[in-house]
Amino acid sequence: MSTPKTIGLPRMQNEIGEKRVFLPEFVHHLVGLGAKAYIEEGYGARSGFSFEDYKRAHPNIYMCTREEAFQKDVSLILRAPLPDEFQLVKRGTILISMLHYPTRSLRVATLKNLGIKAISLDSIANDNNIRLVENMKAVAWNGLEAAFDWLESIWPKLVRPDKKPIQVLIIGTGMVGKHAVEAATKMGNIERNNIHIASNGPGAAAVSIGRNVVSNPGTMQALFRKADVLVDATQRRNPSKPVIPNDWLAWLPEHAVVVDLSVDPYKLDANPPIVRGIEGTPQGSLDQYVFPTDDPKWDSLVPKSIPSKHRRTTVTCYSWPGVHPEACMRHYARQLEPLMYHLFTKGYDGISINGDYFERALYRGTLKAWLKGEADAAIAAQKGSE
Amino acid sequence: MTESITIGLARMHLEYGERRDFLPSLVADLEKRGAQVFLEYGYGAGIGFTEADYLKLAPNVQFVSHEDVYQKQIVLVLRCPSSDELNLLQPGACLISMLHFPTRPQRVAQLKSLGIEAISLDSLKDETGRRLIENLRAVAWNGLEVGFQVLHRTYPSPGLESHERAAIQATIVGVGAVGMHAVQAASRYGKEKLWQALAARDVPGVQVTAIDYDLTKREELMKEILSRTDILVDATQRPELSQIVIPNKWIELMPEHAVLVDLSVDPYDCSANPVEVKGIEGIPQGNLDQYVFMPNDKVYDYIPKCVSVEHRRHAVSCYSWPGLHPKQCMALYGAQIRPIFRTIIGRGGVQNINPQGRYFERAIGRALLSRWESVEPAPTTSKPEKEDKG
Repeated sequence: MSTPKTIGLPRMQNEIGEKRVFLPEFVHHLVGLGAKAYIEEGYGARSGFSFEDYKRAHPNIYMCTREEAFQKDVSLILRAPLPDEFQLVKRGTILISMLHYPTRSLRVATLKNLGIKAISLDSIANDNNIRLVENMKAVAWNGLEAAFDWLESIWPKLVRPDKKPIQVLIIGTGMVGKHAVEAATKMGNIERNNIHIASNGPGAAAVSIGRNVVSNPGTMQALFRKADVLVDATQRRNPSKPVIPNDWLAWLPEHAVVVDLSVDPYKLDANPPIVRGIEGTPQGSLDQYVFPTDDPKWDSLVPKSIPSKHRRTTVTCYSWPGVHPEACMRHYARQLEPLMYHLFTKGYDGISINGDYFERALYRGTLKAWLKGEADAAIAAQKGSE
Repeated sequence: MTESITIGLARMHLEYGERRDFLPSLVADLEKRGAQVFLEYGYGAGIGFTEADYLKLAPNVQFVSHEDVYQKQIVLVLRCPSSDELNLLQPGACLISMLHFPTRPQRVAQLKSLGIEAISLDSLKDETGRRLIENLRAVAWNGLEVGFQVLHRTYPSPGLESHERAAIQATIVGVGAVGMHAVQAASRYGKEKLWQALAARDVPGVQVTAIDYDLTKREELMKEILSRTDILVDATQRPELSQIVIPNKWIELMPEHAVLVDLSVDPYDCSANPVEVKGIEGIPQGNLDQYVFMPNDKVYDYIPKCVSVEHRRHAVSCYSWPGLHPKQCMALYGAQIRPIFRTIIGRGGVQNINPQGRYFERAIGRALLSRWESVEPAPTTSKPEKEDKG
C-alpha cells in the first residue's frame, strides 16, 4: 500500500469572479500531514494571497506550473477541471474535486479511461448518507443576501412603503429550502437583521410551500401577489418542465426579486431538454449574479424558444458559496481536514469501507466505490429481470 | 495483556413512556472493540429486545442489576441519572450522558465532589460548534406528526384529506435549528408517507409561514397570522423564559379546530422572579406518558395559577419528542456515539484522551467535565431535561 507524498493545487480556471482557493492555513495543515505541497503560480492572487502567504517558511511548500499541479500524487481542485484539463492529470493521480458522478457519466468514463483515482467531494457521505463536504447553508444565505441587498437599494433600511414585514415566498422544502427559510427571516444577513430589528424595523416573514401547493395556480396567484421575494429552492423530479411558468411571474409585484437557488441550466439539446425552474430567467455566475429586468444580457442568456416576456429582478449564481470565497473555503477546509488525514495515512488503495467513520465516508467518494455500486446495481437489475 | 474497559449501560427509570435503550448493534460494536459490556436486567425490553437479542450479537455481554451497572468504569445512559443514582458511581468512573453542564451547576458540583469524570453528550461538538450527538430533526418531525394527527380529527368538513379544502395554514414561530426542521416537517404533514399519499391525490398541501422570534412582538401582524392558522408551532429558543411568545388571549383569535404544537417545552415556574412561562401561554407541559391535551383536559387544573389558561385549543407537548419513536431514535444516537466509543476504547480509556488530538478526541475534550472547570457556568435553569435539544 503506497501513501501519497505530494499534493498539487491547481487554480480553478472558471469565470473571473471565481476567487476561491484553499487557504494558506489548510495548505499548512496538509504539509503537517507529511506531504509536500505544490501550488500553481498565481494561486490565490484573485483573493489577494501571494505565494509568500502560503510558503511562510514552510520548507515543503513549492510553486509549480499548472501542468505540474495536476501531476502530483494528489491533485486538489474544488470545482471539476475543464473537460480538456483531465488530460493533464497523471495516470494514478488521486484527483479530488466536485465531480458529480451521478449526473456526469461522460466525466466518469474519462476518469476511468485515464486511470485517474478520483475522489468526488460531493459523494463523500457518512453512514446516514449525509454529505460531509457541502455548503448548502451558504447557497441559501448568499442568495437571500443578494436579494435583500437589491431590495435595500429600492427600500432604504428595508422598510416597505406600508411598513409591513417583507414577504418571502420559498418554493421547495428540502435542505436548501430549510436554510432559505432561516436566511429569509433574518434578511440574508444576521448583522443587518439585528440592526433592523433593533431600530424597530418590520422584519421579514417567510412562507414555505412544497410541490403539492405549487400545483394549484389559484393558490399560487394569491401567494405571488403578496410576495416581495420569490425563492426557487426546488429539486425537480422532471427538469424538463419548469416549476413556475413565465406567465406566473406577471402576478408578482413589479418590485419583487426572484432568487434562484436551484441554478439548473437551459440544455435544450439534451434528451429530454432541460429548462430552468423559473421559466424565462437567466442563469448567473460569480461574474454577474444580479439581473435587473432591463439587463441587456437577459436575451442572450435565455434561449429564444423559452418564454421570457414577464421579468422581475433575478439573483442567480451557479456557485452561490463562492460569493464569500474565504468563508466558503474555511468551511470546506474544516470539513476536509479529518478526511485528508486518512487519505495521507492510508492512501487511495488502502481506504476501505470497513475503516473508521471518516475512512468509510472517504471510500464512498472514490471512483472505485462509485463504479462498484454501478456494477452491483446492474447485476441486481439483471437478476431482477431474469 | 491489559484488562478490558468495563462499560455499563443503565436503563432510564423515568416516566412509563420512556422506553429508549441503546440497540444490540451498538453493544456488539463496543464488545467488538474490546470492551466488556454490562447491561441492566431488562435492558431494551421497552423497545422489544430480549437478552437473547443482545447475546446474539454480543455473546460476552452480561446482565446485572441497576446498582452493578453503576459500578463500571464507564456508565452510559442517555438522560442524566438522578442525584441518588449519581451517588452509585465509583470515584474515577466516567459517566456519559446528556448532562448540560452550562445550565446545571449543581450537577457539575455533585459529580466533581464524587470524583467522577463525565462526558456530556450535548457538549460533544466539532470545530464549528455543531453538536455530534443530537436528534433535533426528531423533535420537529415527531411533534408535527402528532400535531397533524390531532388536526386530522379536529379539522372541519370537508376534512383534512379532501381535495376540496384550502391549503393548511401552518405557522412556525422561531427559525433556529429546530424551527428549520419544523418548516420541512409541517410542509409534509409530519409524515412523509401521508404527504406523498395526499400529494398523489392532488389534495392541497400545507402553506408554512415562518416567523422569527423578533417578529412575534408585532401584535397586529401576529393576530392576523393567528386568525388563519390551523397549526401553530412554538420552536423558539427564548433568551428570557419570562417573555411570552403567544399570550393566552391571542389564542382566542385562532380557529376552534386549531392545534398548538410545543417543541420548545419550556416549563412554568411561578416561583421565579420574573415568573417563567411556556412560549405559548396556557398550554400544559407534556411527557412521553401524555403528549396530547384536549381543551377540557383535567391537567389544565394543575397549571400554576400565575399562568392564564382561559383560552384553549388542542395542544401537543412532550419534553422528549424523539422518544416517541424510540427505536429510530436510538439507532441514530447509536450511530452518532459509535465513533466516540471507538476513540475512547482505542485510547485505552477516557483518561488517555488527548484534547488536542484527532477529530473525535478533540470533540471529546470539549465535552469532558474535567475540562469544564475554566468555563463560567450560566445561571441555573428550571428547564426540564431535554436531551435532544440544542
